[in-house]
Amino acid sequence: MTELDRRTLLKGAALGAGSTVLLARHGRAAADKPQYGGKLRVAYQLAPGALDPIVGRSGGDAYYWRQFCDQLVDADSSLKPRPETSLAESWDVSDPKSVTLRLRKGVKFHDGTAFNAEAVKFNIDRLLDPATKATPRAAFTSVESVEAVDEHLVRFRLKRPWGSVLSTLADRGGAMNSPAAVKALGPDYAFRPVSTGPFKVAEFVSGSHVRFVRNETYWGRDGDGNPLPYLDELVMNIVPDPTVQVAALKAGDVDLIYLPVREVGNFLDNPKYNVNTFEGGGVSFLLSYNLAKPPMDNINLRLAIAHAINPEGIIKAVYFGRALPAKGGMWPNGAWAYDPTVPRPSYNLAKARDYMRLGGRPGGFEMDAVMWPSELNTPTAEIVRAQLAAIGIKLNLKVFEVTVATEKFYYGSEAPLFLTSWSRYPEPDWNASLIYRSDGYYNAGKVKDARLDALIDEGAATVDIEKRKPIYRKVDEIVLGEAQMVPMIYGITYAAAPRNVMGLDQVFGWDAKMYLHRMWPRKG
Amino acid sequence: MRRYILRRLLQFVPSLLLITFIVFALMHAVPGDPARMMLGAGESLDEAQLASIRREYSLDKPLPVQYVLWLGRAVSGDLGRSTTTQRKVADEIGLRAVVTFELGLFAWLISAAISIPAGIASAVYRGRAPDIVGTALAVGAVAMPGFWFGIMLILLFGVRLGWLPTQGYIAIATDPLDALRHMLLPALALGITSAALVMRQMRSALLEVLALDYIRTARAKGLAQRAVVLGHALRNAMLPVITVMGLEIGRIFAGAVVIETLFGIPGMGRLMVQAVFQRDFTVVQGGVLVMAIAVLAVNFVTDLLYAVLDPRIRYDA
Repeated sequence: MTELDRRTLLKGAALGAGSTVLLARHGRAAADKPQYGGKLRVAYQLAPGALDPIVGRSGGDAYYWRQFCDQLVDADSSLKPRPETSLAESWDVSDPKSVTLRLRKGVKFHDGTAFNAEAVKFNIDRLLDPATKATPRAAFTSVESVEAVDEHLVRFRLKRPWGSVLSTLADRGGAMNSPAAVKALGPDYAFRPVSTGPFKVAEFVSGSHVRFVRNETYWGRDGDGNPLPYLDELVMNIVPDPTVQVAALKAGDVDLIYLPVREVGNFLDNPKYNVNTFEGGGVSFLLSYNLAKPPMDNINLRLAIAHAINPEGIIKAVYFGRALPAKGGMWPNGAWAYDPTVPRPSYNLAKARDYMRLGGRPGGFEMDAVMWPSELNTPTAEIVRAQLAAIGIKLNLKVFEVTVATEKFYYGSEAPLFLTSWSRYPEPDWNASLIYRSDGYYNAGKVKDARLDALIDEGAATVDIEKRKPIYRKVDEIVLGEAQMVPMIYGITYAAAPRNVMGLDQVFGWDAKMYLHRMWPRKG
Repeated sequence: MRRYILRRLLQFVPSLLLITFIVFALMHAVPGDPARMMLGAGESLDEAQLASIRREYSLDKPLPVQYVLWLGRAVSGDLGRSTTTQRKVADEIGLRAVVTFELGLFAWLISAAISIPAGIASAVYRGRAPDIVGTALAVGAVAMPGFWFGIMLILLFGVRLGWLPTQGYIAIATDPLDALRHMLLPALALGITSAALVMRQMRSALLEVLALDYIRTARAKGLAQRAVVLGHALRNAMLPVITVMGLEIGRIFAGAVVIETLFGIPGMGRLMVQAVFQRDFTVVQGGVLVMAIAVLAVNFVTDLLYAVLDPRIRYDA
């Protein structure tokens, strides 16, 4: 019996293109009526830094605050705004000098205080205050001031047009904290947060787990009008080792995990579990060049490298076939700006050798590359080194811990090439401003490209998605065409749960993080 | 004795100063701007925030000044707040130290419970089956990496047999039985390597003592083997074993770094690993201080135990 004979393949319609769920024949989650109550135990690899969404700096924070926060502007998996699940019911972005949000009525923070325009003003003012050291502050530099027009109407006065406003409000900075709790708790608020979301934080045992309980007064409803969340209790255990996570799931100690790629085949073959996938969960492997550092200041040599690497081979050997060769730019598939028709370098050794000749180094050369070790990165870098040897490039790998590697490459000009990965950032302005703009942190050589700066400014000032698409296509044409930064592999994110855990088909949000308020354990 | 204790306690001071200063200097010698590391790469453009961080953590002052400022606060019990979680470092360490203490103690007891009887049996039956098997197992246990052994334990007792939890921590006060169930596998993973080393030490120390004249005399008087070994030889043989067991406490705490990460136990080891990776200077500094005090204290207690075990040892001279 083939896999597809035994399984039903359902599209995660609620989430759009990114998500697919493979369910065993008896596990038709979508057809079941949700049952209230029960507890879900999840294992995550990363501990939260702080639970206050704007103060936390760890990549692992969002896994946690997504459960107890709502967004001023929520978004679907392609990052298109979704007013029905947002704290703002509607918005007006037609004026380039301001953004006006009409807030949902009757929403309360977990401490019982009202969510209103004054609360939004308090939150954005707090974020903009340098003393708060808010992580997303740089993304809010377009904001001049915030004004509470009336109880439920709030206006952001802007210094310049802010095209990515709605996407930005779907991330950290758009999560709302209770002003009363922030004032009362001071620095302790960082680990005792109070927001508006479906769950309330009941307990945070540092290094061990975060326990949440249902927000009984939550305003959110599912598609049939039933109140959310379904669960009484949610426990997110911090389990750093993926092997132990898998063992814990198999032993029944936890109910839901992100699945390492090496285990996906085993779980798809096991009728006891359902597996959900999210394609484009991030850029798993990319070539990041320092455009000012020889020999990678030479466009032809950059193109030679990009043509010499065979992502299919890496996917087969390292990812067990569970990843996708990148077809577009830094905003991966599923994002509204993703465009796989943009011409980009792909594996072709003859072309690679041509570019070596054009670049004036037909006999090859020796070059350093920075990398950081991980289960996937390390073998990938070794394969890349072997593949580049085929066109005469001798790659010396300089290995650092991830934070140091990132700092050394982008700030310390350590090497001309960085072999790394990238989180899923579907809003093109976030990546474009940070990577391609002449003053962007991830523009390692701080190379000024007037064409890109102009396009990025235009994109940042345009709100209408349809008008923004062609702008970011032009950005991709330059960046990929000149091999300024070349994504090679898009990741697929996998989640697995026993068959009695329902709602797996709706678990992924636009950032490939899990949103657990629609999950429930089926009894009996 | 009192003078000896006082002298040893005073010796703690330069040791602690040296250890904390070296760690302070090392953390600042790590590549990268500490303020940028704290802020996270993508947001590093914001100079106003960088300035605020440098001011708040005194990063704008020379290193010796920063150290003296930290020391002044530490002496009064203020270890500052974690730069990532914003919790008070003293609170965080207080919670985590208890967990590691529980794990370490459990592992140490397992180590002692296995190693001392096994070492005695090995020495008494030298060259025979118990010695050969015990030695082979000990060599295997020493050679085995702790994390690999831990994974094997999880797969066998957690997944295959389903007897014990695969990961997590329950406080003893919450549910003592469940707490022990959660602690058994990590303590076994941690204690087994230590047991192997202590067992080898026990064996050789006992063999040495068993060859001494007073043992021959005891045997000549017709004492039973049991009385000779347990009544006369063991106490003398224990002296070097106690030294090794004292040192093993330090090694067990070092091993806890890996085992706590593997089993998802919120102890000091994991706290320190996480703090180092996140460049959480305040937590690393506070953690090292507490761990250094703990190791010095254990060594001190071990030295005092000598005098209890061997009346010939006196510290007043």
